[in-house]
Amino acid sequence: MATRDSALNTTQQQVPALFRAGQTVRDGLSLILRTNTGRIGFAIVAVHLTLALAGPWIAPYPPTDYHLDARFSGPSSEYWLGTDEFGRDVLSRVLAGARSIIWISFIGTIFGVTLGTVVGVTSGYLGGKIDQFIMRIVDWFLAIPSLLLTILVINMASQRFSNIDHSWIIIFVIGISFMPNNSRVIRSAALAIKPLEFVQSARLRGEPTLYIMFREVLPNVFPVVAVEATIRLSFALLLTAGLGFLGLGVKPPEPDWGLMVSENADHLGTVPWAALAPGLAMASLVVGINLLADGIRQAQNLPETGE
Amino acid sequence: MNHAANSDAPIIQLENLAVTFQTPRGAFRAVRSASLEIARGEVVGLVGESGCGKSTVAFAMMDYLPGTANVEGAVRFEGMDISQFTDAELRELRGNRIAMVYQDPITSLNPSMRVGPQIEEVLKHHLDMDSEAAQRRAVELFESVGLADPERIGRRYPHQLSGGMQQRVVIAMALACDPHLLIMDEPTTGLDVTTEATILDLIVELKDRVNAGILFVSHNLGVIARVADRVAVMYAGEIVEEAPVRELFKNPSHPYTAGLLSCVPQPPGDDGVALQLRSIPGAVFDAQMEQTNSCLFAPRCPLAKEDCSTTTPPLEGVAEDHRARCLYHDEVNDGIWGDLLERVVKPDPEETTPALYAEDLRKFYGGGRRKYILFGPPVRPPVRALVDVDMRVGGGRTLGIVGESGSGKSTAARAIVGLESKDSGVLQLRGQELEGDVGDRTEDQRSAMRMVFQNPTASLNPKLPIKHAITRALRKFAGVRRGEIRERSEELMNAVGLDPLYLDRLPSELSGGQQQRVALASAFAANPDLVVADEAVSALDVSVQAQVLNLLEDRQRETGNAYVFITHDLGVVRYVSDDILVLYAGHVAEYGPAEAVLSTPSHPYTEALLSAAPVPDPDAEPTHIRLEGSVPTLRSAFKGCFFAGRCPRKIGDICDAEQPPEQRGPGGDGHMINCHIPVEELERLQIMDGVPTTAKA
Repeated sequence: MATRDSALNTTQQQVPALFRAGQTVRDGLSLILRTNTGRIGFAIVAVHLTLALAGPWIAPYPPTDYHLDARFSGPSSEYWLGTDEFGRDVLSRVLAGARSIIWISFIGTIFGVTLGTVVGVTSGYLGGKIDQFIMRIVDWFLAIPSLLLTILVINMASQRFSNIDHSWIIIFVIGISFMPNNSRVIRSAALAIKPLEFVQSARLRGEPTLYIMFREVLPNVFPVVAVEATIRLSFALLLTAGLGFLGLGVKPPEPDWGLMVSENADHLGTVPWAALAPGLAMASLVVGINLLADGIRQAQNLPETGE
Repeated sequence: MNHAANSDAPIIQLENLAVTFQTPRGAFRAVRSASLEIARGEVVGLVGESGCGKSTVAFAMMDYLPGTANVEGAVRFEGMDISQFTDAELRELRGNRIAMVYQDPITSLNPSMRVGPQIEEVLKHHLDMDSEAAQRRAVELFESVGLADPERIGRRYPHQLSGGMQQRVVIAMALACDPHLLIMDEPTTGLDVTTEATILDLIVELKDRVNAGILFVSHNLGVIARVADRVAVMYAGEIVEEAPVRELFKNPSHPYTAGLLSCVPQPPGDDGVALQLRSIPGAVFDAQMEQTNSCLFAPRCPLAKEDCSTTTPPLEGVAEDHRARCLYHDEVNDGIWGDLLERVVKPDPEETTPALYAEDLRKFYGGGRRKYILFGPPVRPPVRALVDVDMRVGGGRTLGIVGESGSGKSTAARAIVGLESKDSGVLQLRGQELEGDVGDRTEDQRSAMRMVFQNPTASLNPKLPIKHAITRALRKFAGVRRGEIRERSEELMNAVGLDPLYLDRLPSELSGGQQQRVALASAFAANPDLVVADEAVSALDVSVQAQVLNLLEDRQRETGNAYVFITHDLGVVRYVSDDILVLYAGHVAEYGPAEAVLSTPSHPYTEALLSAAPVPDPDAEPTHIRLEGSVPTLRSAFKGCFFAGRCPRKIGDICDAEQPPEQRGPGGDGHMINCHIPVEELERLQIMDGVPTTAKA
C-alpha cells in the first residue's frame, strides 16, 4: 500500500531546519505576547531592562558622586528626583542600582532553577526509593526560612573570606533557597510525562536513563520551567532588595535599591523621593515580571501554582 | 415559552446549518452544511469520522456553542427558531426539552455526590418536586433504565458503580424531565463491548417506551446499525448521505458511505476474512480550507470526474427518503473501492520456530509492605494481573489477544516487551531466554522485539521532530552511520506511505493516522522478528484503521515478522489473527487457531464477547447472551473457576469449587478451552442458542 499523503503539497511548505532555532525564539515571544497580561508585563520589563542597560550613559551624574552643596534637595531641573543626605543624585543611583539587583537576581534564579530542574526531573523520572530520599532532603531544606539561611550564610562567608564579593554569596543563597520549591514543581511535571508512551518507547529502544531524562522528558517540562523561572525571578528580586535593606547586600557606597530605601527612610519627611523612587522601581519591576509569568501561564493553559 | 410550539412540526429541524469557529489561526469550518429532521419516537444516527462536525451539530441543536462560533442557517425546535430564544428559554430548553448523554459517564457525574441526590436535584430544580416525590421518581427512573436494586443504588457514589451502571444513571438523569429530544454523543464508545451491548439493548428498548426523538452520534457503524431508524453520514462538515438504516447499509449512494462500509472488519458472522480490507486513501478535507466550488470528497473519491472539482453537488434524492450529495450516486456500488484481493496464506505454525514462546507467565502487582512502614492502610494481597499464561507465536504469524478492560491484555504486552518484569515463568524470543526487564536484555533482543502503542499522539515526543524516533531506532538497532541516516529514514517513511518531507515536522502537525505510521516506521526500523501492537488501531478512524491494518499485513508478508496484536475489537482481531488468546482476569479462557476460537464450541466467555460485538448490519438478529458488571480484580488465590462470578452458563457448585480443566477443543492442535462444561455439551448449547459463528471452522 503506497498511499502518499497528498495534503502536504497543498497546505504546507517545508520548513528548513536552519530556521528552527530562530523559530523557537519567535515562538517564545509570540507566546508571551499572546495575552494582554503578557504584553503589559513584557512592556514593563522591557522598559526596566533598557534603562538598566543604558543607565551609565543616560544617568546625569556618577552614582557615587557627592554634591555636598545640594544635600536634601527636592526634585529640580538639575536633580530630577532630588538628592539624598550626602547630596548624591537619586535618579542616577536608581538607574545604577537596577544593574546590580537585576544581575544578582537573574543569575541567582538561573542557578536555582537549573538546580531545581535537575533535581526535579531526576527525582520524578527515577521514582521509587530514590525519589523518596531526594524529596525528604528537599523537605529538610524547605524547613529553613530562606531569609534566615541567607543571613547565616552571609555572616559565615564574610567572616571566613573577608574579601569576597557579596553578590556571589547572594547568588549562591538564592540558588540554594529556590531549589526545594522549584524541584517539587518540576518533579510533578516530570511525573506527568513519565508514563507517556514516547518515554516507554525510549526505554524499549534501550536508551540510557540520562538520555531519557534530559532529551525526552526535559523538553516537555520546559514550559513549566519557564513559568517557574519567571515567578522565581520576582522572588529573587524581593530577596535581594530585602538583604540590601538589612545591609547585607552590595557594599556601600555602591547603589542598591534596598539599601537606598533603608538609608533614606529616616528622611521621608524632607526628601520623600530618595526612598520612594527605588521602592517604586522595585515594585513596578516585580509587578511586570509577575504579569509576564501569568501571561506565559495563560498562553500555555498551565494551572496556577498557588504561590 | 411564549413562542408557539407546533406539535406537528418535527422535534428538531436543521436547515442548512453552518458553524464556523473564529480561532487565532483562522476560521475553522466545523459544520458547512447540515440539514436534518428528527421526529418523535425516531432514532437518527449521525455517523462520521473524527473532526467531521458530528458533535458540533449536536451542540448546535441546543444553541450551546462558545462565543467564537458563528452560526448560519436555522435550528427549529418544534417549529420555533431557537436563535430567537431568550437565555431563560434556552435554559428551559436545555434542561427540560432536550437532554444529553455524553461519552464518558464518569465525568458526567459529580464524584463527590451520591447518585440519588444528583438525579433528585434535577427533578427538584426542573420539575419543582418536593424531596419525597423526587426520591420516589428517582427510584422509578433507576428501575426504568434496568439498574438492579433501584431502591439502594441511589445511595452509592459514582466510583462505586461499574462503567455500564454509571452510564445507566446518566441516561436515567437525561430521562428525568421527559425530554422531547435526547442527544447521545458516543454514549458507548468508552465502554467495553460487553457493556456496550447491554447499553444498546437499553437504548433500543427506550426508543419504544419514551416518546422522544433520539439523535445518536457515533463513529461506529455496527452500533448505528443496531439502534438507528434513519442515518445521516457526515463528511468534512457536510451531511453527504441520509437514508433509512436498511436502505443505507444495502444501497449506499455516496462513495464515502460505501467506503466506510467496506473498510470495517466484519465481526464474526460472514466469511469476509479471506479478503483484504479496502481503505479510503488520503485524509479528511481540512476544516480551515475555504469552501470551494467542488465536491469536498473529490480528492479521495474513486469516482471523481472533472466536473466533481468544478461543481458543488447538491444533496439530492436517490430514492424515497434517501438523499446523497454526489453527482454520480447512480454509479456507486460495492466495487468502486477496488477489487477484493485475496489475502496471502500464512506459513503453517508447525514448520517455523516460534518467534515468541511464553509458559506460565505470571505478573502480580502491589502487595508486599506498607507504604510508610508504620502508617497507612493495611497491606492488601497483590493484584493477580497475569496467572500462568502460555502462548506461542510462530514466525510470520499473528497472535491476537482479546478480553475486556482489566482482563490482563496490556499487562501481557508489557511483560513481553519488558516494560514490566514478569514475576515468574518462561519467556523466549526465537528460542532465546529473555530477561524480565527491558534494560537487562541485549541490544539484539531489543531490536528484534518492538512495540506500537495505542495512542499515536503520546507515542511521539511532542517537542521533537518526528525523525527523532526513527533515527534513534536506526542508529541503535540497524547500526546505520550518520551519513546514511537521512536516506534510510526516507526509505522507511516511503514504506509506511508517508511523504519523507514530514521527517522535519513536529508530531502535532500530523494527523493521528500519520502519527501512528511514524510509530510503525520506527518499530520497523531494524526488521524486528516480533512487533507487539497494543490496541494499535483502536484510536484511529475506520478508514485510517484499514490503511494501517493493511500496512501491517504487507509488512508481514515482506519481512516475515510476527505480531502480538492486542485489541478489544473482535472484528479487528478476527481479521488480523492466525491464533487467538482470550484472556479473562489474567487467566486464559481459550486459546487456539482463530477460526476454531471464534466458532462453536467456544468458552462461555468467548461466546459472550462474540455475542456482544456490534454487527454493521441492521438486519442482524440481536443475540441474547449478555454479561453484566465488569472484570473483577482478583487479589487472592481461589478454588473455583475464574469466570464463575459472571458466567452465563455456570453449571453449579463445581464452578465455585474446582479449577476448570484444560479441555482440548475440536480446532486441532493447541485449541484449548478452560471450562467445566464438556466440549460436546458446549457445542450443543451454543448451536441451540444460535450464537453467531464462522461455521466453516
